[in-house]
Amino acid sequence: MWWLLAMLMNDAGMVMNANTDTLPRGCEAISRDYQFFIEGGRDHAANAPGIIFGLSEHELRVEPCSRLTVTFTNLDEVRHQWMVHGLPKYLYPGGMFHIEANGGATMTGTFIVPGDDRTYLLHCDMAQHMEKGMKGQLVVGRGSGNLWSVRGVSDAFIRDSYLPVSVAKWLALLVLLGFTAVFMGRRQNKLKIERQD
Amino acid sequence: MLNRKWWVVAICLILLAYPPQWYPFGLRVQLSQWFGAASFRAFPQSLDSAVEESEPFCVEENQGWRDAQQIDGVAIEAAVTCAADNPYAIAAFVRGTNNVSHHTLMQSGLTSDAVVKGRDLDGDGDPDEIHIRLEVAELNGSSAESRQPVTQYAIAPGIKPGLWVFAPKLAGMARENFESVWARNALRLPSPVIRVEQGDRVTITLENTHYMPHTLHLHGADHGFVDVSGEGNDGVPLTSELPVMPGMSRTYELNPRHAGTMYYHCHVQPHVHVMMGLQGLFVIEENRPNNWLQTMNVGSGQVRARSVASRENYDREYDLHYLDLDKQLGERIQQHRDPRLITKSMHRDYDITDATQDYFTLNGRSFPYTLRESLIVVEEGERVKLRVVNGGAKGIALHTHGHKFTVTHADGNSIPVSARFARDVLWLGTSQRAELDLLTTNDGLNAYGPGMWLFHDHQYNGTTTDGIGPGGNISAIVYGDYMNPNGWPRTQGVSYKPYFTEAYYRKEIPVWESYAPGLFAEPGIDGWLLLRLLVLALGVGMLGALTISAVAGKRR
Repeated sequence: MWWLLAMLMNDAGMVMNANTDTLPRGCEAISRDYQFFIEGGRDHAANAPGIIFGLSEHELRVEPCSRLTVTFTNLDEVRHQWMVHGLPKYLYPGGMFHIEANGGATMTGTFIVPGDDRTYLLHCDMAQHMEKGMKGQLVVGRGSGNLWSVRGVSDAFIRDSYLPVSVAKWLALLVLLGFTAVFMGRRQNKLKIERQD
Repeated sequence: MLNRKWWVVAICLILLAYPPQWYPFGLRVQLSQWFGAASFRAFPQSLDSAVEESEPFCVEENQGWRDAQQIDGVAIEAAVTCAADNPYAIAAFVRGTNNVSHHTLMQSGLTSDAVVKGRDLDGDGDPDEIHIRLEVAELNGSSAESRQPVTQYAIAPGIKPGLWVFAPKLAGMARENFESVWARNALRLPSPVIRVEQGDRVTITLENTHYMPHTLHLHGADHGFVDVSGEGNDGVPLTSELPVMPGMSRTYELNPRHAGTMYYHCHVQPHVHVMMGLQGLFVIEENRPNNWLQTMNVGSGQVRARSVASRENYDREYDLHYLDLDKQLGERIQQHRDPRLITKSMHRDYDITDATQDYFTLNGRSFPYTLRESLIVVEEGERVKLRVVNGGAKGIALHTHGHKFTVTHADGNSIPVSARFARDVLWLGTSQRAELDLLTTNDGLNAYGPGMWLFHDHQYNGTTTDGIGPGGNISAIVYGDYMNPNGWPRTQGVSYKPYFTEAYYRKEIPVWESYAPGLFAEPGIDGWLLLRLLVLALGVGMLGALTISAVAGKRR
């Protein structure tokens, strides 16, 4: 069961699969140490239309084989998470590193990224939090291309149309107008030719 | 000249292809008199029924959860059905998430502040300070990545309506694991039953994890209009307070003086929010010494750690939450992604006065899933307590086969003993509650003896899933002799295989196919008639074109 994985849990939240010193395969040494201070919550969605929750950083870029210490501060009064997916499963059970902070709490965790160029999903896995804005990407080295729907980085893979249904009426009218114009034009032409004959 | 030939062709085609069964009646009679009956033509063969692998009736994982067990000193009754609640969560709800071992808390999936139990104020051996936290979760919602719903929850095979539920405060992610699309065990319909004791000092913190505003309204449960600090406490944005915005929280207080089966729900745009699933049973138990209550009953159903009063007077207790759903409401959260568009669609475009209900659930599922977790399992000679709420938009006519039950309480208030009588259909309007005594005494009145006896809403739409039966809120009262060891009932040789396929509820499987293969199957098409009609259509088309060109030619 997933909640039995290596985990630190207290009243402020939890950190799962923290790893401060085991090197991923292919890494000879820790290339660099990063410190990230990430905030999550409504405040970071305040100026963005169409989302409700946000992160202070939606994209992190790090060197391969580097060690990341992430301090995640939850600005809201409800739980939020900062989770990385797709890490090697031999080192991170379930392939993930997970920080969860209760409302108003701050939690810190450390993990080491593998040596290959790859882009990892990071998000909050509470129902609809990723879908409503808490999605980001962790780019290791040159990465493996942008993920979809990362705020400030990439477009939504499926976009709402943002057009009212009444637009359909106007489109239909325009189609009719175009058809009529061509039809009348051709008829005029035909009459002209007949007259010339 | 060429034109005239085409006229003849078109008219001949029409006359030859026109199906004789469409001839005027008099003409057919006349033709029969001249030429006799037409020769035999067999009806089309039956088509083979769609073959789809059935889901397992009884999911075998977590079977250890079904056993009677003792966790952290909490005695948990055996689960009688094949799907069971997590016993560690039950223990944590009874002791308080602040009072259980680390191991139990980890296994429960709850946070340490999910249900905090404090002091024993009246000195009777049980805690009276209860702090409950509720979150709000969306099931089967939309995403910008996929057309499939996210955080999936099926009420029946393949039926995944958009839902909003209150949920206990859970640690970790919303899905059951990293590869899964399914919501984890405790994120489900209906919102959990909340159980407190008469006289408890209860605080409930609504942590709004959803992207829309919500509140908590304690329907029928004794609470002040404002709390001690003068803040609104009724959960009604029209009168007492502003709603709890996304990411925000608010604490409600109550100190109930009166016991009974009550109800709680969101009161923001209630015609939408309550009908999306933001509603649950709220049970206030009588104050008794050493009354350690299971503060939440996830998914409703069997109560496995019962109150003192329940153990004194009853052999078993079940919570039954009925809810109907409008497909056209739930799908609105799946059609848009932007919360502004979802809000418009749900609260302005949706018109409940034009609505019809399509899905009918008991404890968050429809038949056949109800048989996995919402059977009432009994033995002969027992007294069983049923607490029922109808949370749906329409009334239910609750009917039991093989039994007559007695209503002891209506809307949380006791009915005088002299006014009680045994009956087998009970009407419950929207949001009404009833407490029922089900006696399994085989005396021809209370019960007719052991068996697998259905109970269901006797309004027939309630026995269907979007019009397909059997479906809806059908479940059964099953005697021990009629139960298999794994918790699945013995169905006297009737196959449930078709009902455990998505195809059945997509209306693709003939209803009696499992016991009369081919007899009432889908017939093949009449190829000869189809050919005639195609030729007829061709002829009519030609005739039309010839007519138009003739008219146009004349005008020129």
